[in-house]
This record gives sequence, structure tokens and C-alpha cells, in this order.
Amino acid sequence: MAPEKIKFPINLSVLILFGLILLSLQLMSSATQESSQLSAMYSWLLLVNALGSVVLLILVGANIYSLIQHTKRREAGSRLTTRMVSLFVVLALAPAVIVFYFSMQFLHQGIDSWFNVEIDRAMEDALELSQASLDQRMRWHLKQTQQLTEKLEDSSENLVTLEIENLRELSGASEMTLFSRQGRIIASSSINPGDILPSLPDEHIWLQLRQNGEFVAVAPIHEEELMIRAIVTVKALEPQYLQALYPVPVRIADLADSVEFAFVRYQEMNYLRNSLKVSFSLALSLVLLMSLLAAIWAAFISIRNIIAPVKELVKGTQAVASGHYDQQLPVIAQDDLGFLVESFNDMTHRIAVARDETRKAGVEVENQRAYLETILANLTAGVISFDVFNKIRTANQAAYRIFHIHVNQFIGRTLLELVENYSELAEPLKSIQRLLEQADDIWQQRIAFLGSNGRQELLCRGTPLFSQEGLRVGAVVVFDDVTDLIQAQKNAAWSEVARRLAHEIKNPLTPIQLSAERLQHKLAYKLDPTDADMLQRSTQTIVQQVLAMKEMVDDFSEYAKPSKKQTVDIDLPRLVQEVLALYALKSGVKFKADYETGLLMINGDPVSIRQVLHNLIKNALEAIDAHGLIEISLHRVQKNNTDFIEIALYDDGPGIKDEQIEEIFEPYVTTKAKGTGLGLAIVKKIIEEHGGAIWIDTSRKVGAGFIIQLPACNSEQL
Amino acid sequence: MPLSGNADEFAAQVKQVQITLQGESYIMSAEFVYQLSEKAKEAMKNGVPLFWDIQVKLLQHREVFWDKTLIDTAIRYRIQYHALLNMYRVRNEGDGEVYNFSTLSSALGLMSAIHDFPLIEKNELVPEKNYQCAVKVSFDREALPLPLRPIAYIDPQWYLSSDWTLWPLKK
Repeated sequence: MAPEKIKFPINLSVLILFGLILLSLQLMSSATQESSQLSAMYSWLLLVNALGSVVLLILVGANIYSLIQHTKRREAGSRLTTRMVSLFVVLALAPAVIVFYFSMQFLHQGIDSWFNVEIDRAMEDALELSQASLDQRMRWHLKQTQQLTEKLEDSSENLVTLEIENLRELSGASEMTLFSRQGRIIASSSINPGDILPSLPDEHIWLQLRQNGEFVAVAPIHEEELMIRAIVTVKALEPQYLQALYPVPVRIADLADSVEFAFVRYQEMNYLRNSLKVSFSLALSLVLLMSLLAAIWAAFISIRNIIAPVKELVKGTQAVASGHYDQQLPVIAQDDLGFLVESFNDMTHRIAVARDETRKAGVEVENQRAYLETILANLTAGVISFDVFNKIRTANQAAYRIFHIHVNQFIGRTLLELVENYSELAEPLKSIQRLLEQADDIWQQRIAFLGSNGRQELLCRGTPLFSQEGLRVGAVVVFDDVTDLIQAQKNAAWSEVARRLAHEIKNPLTPIQLSAERLQHKLAYKLDPTDADMLQRSTQTIVQQVLAMKEMVDDFSEYAKPSKKQTVDIDLPRLVQEVLALYALKSGVKFKADYETGLLMINGDPVSIRQVLHNLIKNALEAIDAHGLIEISLHRVQKNNTDFIEIALYDDGPGIKDEQIEEIFEPYVTTKAKGTGLGLAIVKKIIEEHGGAIWIDTSRKVGAGFIIQLPACNSEQL
Repeated sequence: MPLSGNADEFAAQVKQVQITLQGESYIMSAEFVYQLSEKAKEAMKNGVPLFWDIQVKLLQHREVFWDKTLIDTAIRYRIQYHALLNMYRVRNEGDGEVYNFSTLSSALGLMSAIHDFPLIEKNELVPEKNYQCAVKVSFDREALPLPLRPIAYIDPQWYLSSDWTLWPLKK
């Protein structure tokens, strides 16, 4: 077992991000406290958090988009991810939204509860009280100032300065100034001798003064100090204005200030109530949004991590389903899923091993089969196997060579179906079919039939095939073309007969002949004429018959000796022409020769070939009884990739009877009254000794036709 | 929401800037117009102090790079309503001077002009170069009470700042 690694579902960077989000939110929350140092950064924090939310929103959006794409493509694990994410979002969203809703409720109610009508009224009343108090003081000072003006009314301008000083001290004013109507300072007195320039009323005050003739107002002198400015008209020759500045007692000023501060603060708070709600709601929404988005994003990451092995498993299973057994999945975690993945890997490994073994065995079998097929194909014997219904399963090349049928094209069909297409092979095919159907054991039979190349003889051997359970599953038939073999055996036998005849019969013939002639010679004159005549006739018969026997024995020795003595290249058309020239004088016979253009050469003994032609033409002449047409044609044909020259000879005589066709080439078979019956046997022997073949053209219905095929000379040798 | 008006509806404007050479130094006089929105007035009536900065920059024109800032200064005003005395108090935050006005317009009037603001000594300028004076009246949103700040960035009624205006320095 590999050492176990504990992996957190959420990696460090995500944790750091969460930390940052919390810190940012905490900072924003602190900043909302007015006294906080962070207050100045409030807008920035708000912006940073909003941007953070946008970034998170983009992250979540990208994840959702990717998930939708995966689901559309039906990728492995996408549907499970969708379900888990949806479940998580619903579970996270529901409580968060509930908490959010009630928080908002409490927040709004809480803020609203700070304010109520009573406090509102009390605050306004307090302010009004302060204002009333100051107002009263102002009116009192105005009245006081008005009273003072009476003392100034009659004073000359020179005395005014002194008078003002007195009046100021009398009234308790901090400063007193007399202005002309145009605003020029006539006289001034201040409690503070350092103040050279008196406090001047502004344009607004002048305007009011000109309208009303008097002015009174509280004005702040410095930050905390209050001053009552009272200006009244002095009725003199030329109207003048007296301005008196009365200090408001510090205690009263403080109280008024305090009341005002409280009022302003309260009013500001009241004014900002809605903004406060908005900004708290904003902060709360931001907190909710960020934490929710962060949680969803984290959910995406962790679900992806959890799903990863499942995804791999699905992919792996798909790969195995499509035949890729080498699939090995990475083991991500040592949990249940990891165990599953390990088991999967084990399973695929075993399947792969089993598959490899099967494949190896299959290859072995295939090799064996190919080997057997090669052997079968190269056998000289034809092999056809049959299934249980005697339908062809396989056939080798030799079967084609023997039957001249592409048996391979008839796989799944019976031999009887072949008969329909190849009627000339009906006889052997039917025989084999019959034997197949009847035989329960190994059988062997010779089947002779007339093929396209003449009479053919097959040696067939059939073996029924049985399964291991003993059921018959088919049969195999092996057949060999033994025509040549049998012919060779026959030829050898005839040769032996001829040799013996020559040896055993020819030797006593000469003494017989000599003895008969001697009898004639010695006894002829001793006998009476009648007896002498009889002797004469008898000895003549003996001599004639001996000569005939000699001739016959010579023919036999001719048949027995090899014909291919001296081989040269023969130009067949020329040879045929020469032979035909000898018969040209025969009246009543018409020869028709047809030669193919081009070289028609064979390699052979010209004397033997000439004899072949003589024998055949003689036969034909005898058949047509010296009146009729003899056709002879030469063609080049190709058979089994070898060039042959075909000599076809036809006459329009009575033809050959069907029962004779099979044995016409045998010695002593003849249709003629006289003749040894060796003519065609010799022809056949010569042709076969030259590597050729002769057969009777059975397709011809008029007269007799012989077809000879002799191997052509290679053009390279020419 | 009064979003109908354009964003500059309540923006302050720099009406006029004059730079003159007095003796060996350049001095600046300027006039501004403030157009307070209803919300700004309401906030002020409820005791919220408002802050304005009159920002002044002296820029030396450069062909390749952006202009070089020689001077970057500001005059900061605070205006607040006093309920007890029913008056507006304007305070120059730079020198601490306090001015009281019985009407808002006269209070804004104080902030609407600067006179004889010493800009730069003549010998500090290079004669071949071109100089420009950039002036802006900017309303300080960040000085608003915290709950108002986010709104001030969203609501056009709180877009009270002027744009930067450029005035050539004639030598």
C-alpha cells in the first residue's frame, strides 16, 4: 500500500482567498463605525468588495457555463456534478436568504427605533428655548441701546467719542461704535484698547438697517464666543447709527452651543436615516453575496475534486466497453472511491491479460489453419469438405484443377446444385453425392467419366467427420485424377505384350515359312497334278499367313518401341502441308486447312508426328470412303499457364459410335474390316510421349473429330 | 430619481481666471459659480458640513511627455449651517478663518472668488517654455458622512465638482 496522504478537499490558495474575503468584509464592517480610522477608506473598501464580488461572480459564471457545456456534451460525471452543485446551492442559499431577510428586518426596525416623535419634539423645543433665550437677551440689549441713543442725540461730534466711552462702560457692551449714514466711523470705543478697527457690519446688515432703522442679531465672534450685535438709529441732525456689541455670557453660550450640537447631531442622524439603512443593507448584501459566491465557487472546486475519480471511472468503463482494456486509472485518494478505482484497474488488467491470451490462441489457431490450408492447396489430390447437410464447406486448388470448376464459389451449396451449372460433370458429381449420402464409414471408389479433355478416371475416398460427442458433422472427400496413371499402366502392359510377341512369335515364323517353301519345292513334282495343286495352295496360304503375322508382329514392335527418338523444332503448318500434299491427288476428297497466323512450332520427332498425321488422315479417308470433306485446323491455346498447339481434324463420315468412344484408342479396337487396330493406339502413344493429349471431340455431331494438343515451343527458345 | 438632468446640472463652474504679473510674481484671481442641488441643500440644512477644494495647478508644457506639474495646491472650504443662529458658516481650512453669513448665497459668494492668489515667482519660470494654469472646483464626497458616500457617487445630484479648466499664463 502506498503511504496515505491526507488531502484537503480545498487547497491552500482557496483558503487564502476566503481569508482575504473575510478580512475585507470585516474591514468594511469596521469602517461603518463613524469613529473608526477606516472610515476614510470606506468607499475604497466598498469598491474592493464589489470588485471581489464581480470577480467571484465571473468565476462562478465561468464554472456554470463550463458545466452546462459539459452536460450538453454528455461528458462523464457532468450530470452528477450538476446535481451536487444544485443541491449545494439550494442548501446554502435557503438559510442564507432567510437570515438575510430577517437581518434586514431587524436592521430597519433597529434604525427606526432610534428616532421617535417625542425626541424630535424635545430637540426642536430645546433649540427653540435656546433661541428664545437669546432672543430675549437680544431684545433687551436692543432696548438698552435705544435708550442709550437718547444721550447721544444732542451731543456734538467732538463730545461723542467721550460719550460713547461712557455709554459703553455703562451698558456693559464690549464695543460701541457710531457710524454715519454712509457707514463712516464717527466714534468707537472698545473694551479691548488694542482693537483699533471696530467690527464692521456687512452689506446685508446695512440693507436691513436702512429698511428697519434697527438691527439686532447674535453673531459668533470667534469659534465659541457669541456676541449680540445691536444697531439702532440715532436721531440727530443727520441720522447716525450706533452699534453696540454685547458679549453673551459664557455659560449661556456654552449651553446654547451644547443644545445646538445635540440638535444638529440628531437632525443629521434623522436625515441620514434612510441613507444609513441603504448603506447597511448594501454592506449586508455584499457580505451575503460574497460569502455565497465564494461558497458556491468552493463547492465547484471541491465537487470537482470529489467527482474526478468517478469521472475517470466512467471514462475507463467507456474505454473498456469499446474494447480498450489497457486503461489504467490514476488512484487519486485512498478512500472508498480510491478502492473502487483500484478494483477497476485490477479488473481491466485481468481482462487485458485474458484478452491477450485469447488473441494469442486465436493467432495460433489461425496460423495452424493457414498452414493446413497451404498444405491442402498444394496437394495434387482434390479435397472437398462437406457439412452435415452435405453442403460444400471448403475446397482446395486441386479440386479446380481436376474438375475445372471454381468449387470455392459454391460454398454452402450441394454438389447437385453444381450439376445444374456443369452438366458435363453430372456423372461424377452425382456419384459422389450419392456416396456421401449413403456411406457411414470410409469409402473408396473409382469414378470414370468423359470430361472436356476426354475420358477421365478419378479415385475418390470419402471419410465422414464426427464431433467429439459422436455426432456426424460432415464429411471430407479426397479425389485424385488417376487417368494418366491407369493409361501408363495399360501402355506398359501393351508394350510388354508387344515385346513378347515379337520375341516369341516372330522367331518361329521364318522356319515355318522356309519349311513350307521347302515342302512345295521337294514334293511338287512327285505328286499328281491334283495333289500338287492342293500342296501349292496350302503352302501359299502358310507363307501368306506367316507374312501377315510378321507384319502384325512388326506393327507391335513399332507400337512397343519409343517414338520420340530425335527431337527437333517442327513448323507444324509446314509439316501438315507436306503430308496433305501426298493425298492431294485423291479424287473425290476435299481438304480444308485453317492455320492461325503466327508461329505454330512444337518440339518433337518429325517422323513420329508425320506418322500421327498419316494415321489420322488414313482413318478419315477410310471413314468417308474416299468421298467427302476433311478439315484440319491449327490453333494456339493456353491451358494451366502453358501454351499448346491444338490440331483439330474433322471428317464428314459416319462418325464414331458412343460405346466405342471410351476405348477407341485401345489396341485392337477397330471399326474397320481390315487393319490391326493399332493405328489410333500408336497415335495416342506418340502424342502422350510428346507430352500432349488426344481425345475425340464429342461436341461435334457430324462425322468424327479428333483434337490433339501438343506443348508449343517456348518463344524464348525460338 | 432626478436622473433626467445631465450630470453637469449641479456642477460648479470656473467662470474666470486671471493671472497677472505684479512685480516679480504672478498672482491669480478667479471666479466660480456653485449650483447646489436640492439634495445638497437639504443635507446642509440638516447640519451636514460640505467641503470644497479649489484646486490650482501650474503646468509646464512638454512636447514628448505629459506636462510637468510645478505647483499643486488647493484652498479648502467648509460650509455648514448653524440652526441656533440660523446662519451659514464658511471656514477656510487652510488658515482657519471663519465667516458667518445669514444666507446661503452670500456664504457661497465668499467661496466664489479668490483674489490675488500668489502663484509663482517670475524667476522660477523658463522664458521659452509655455505654462498653463489648471483650475478646478471639486466637491469632496469622501468628507460626507459615511452613509451618504456611496449615494454621492451614484446620484447626479451630488456631482458638484467642476471639470479641470486650463488657463494660459501670459508672460
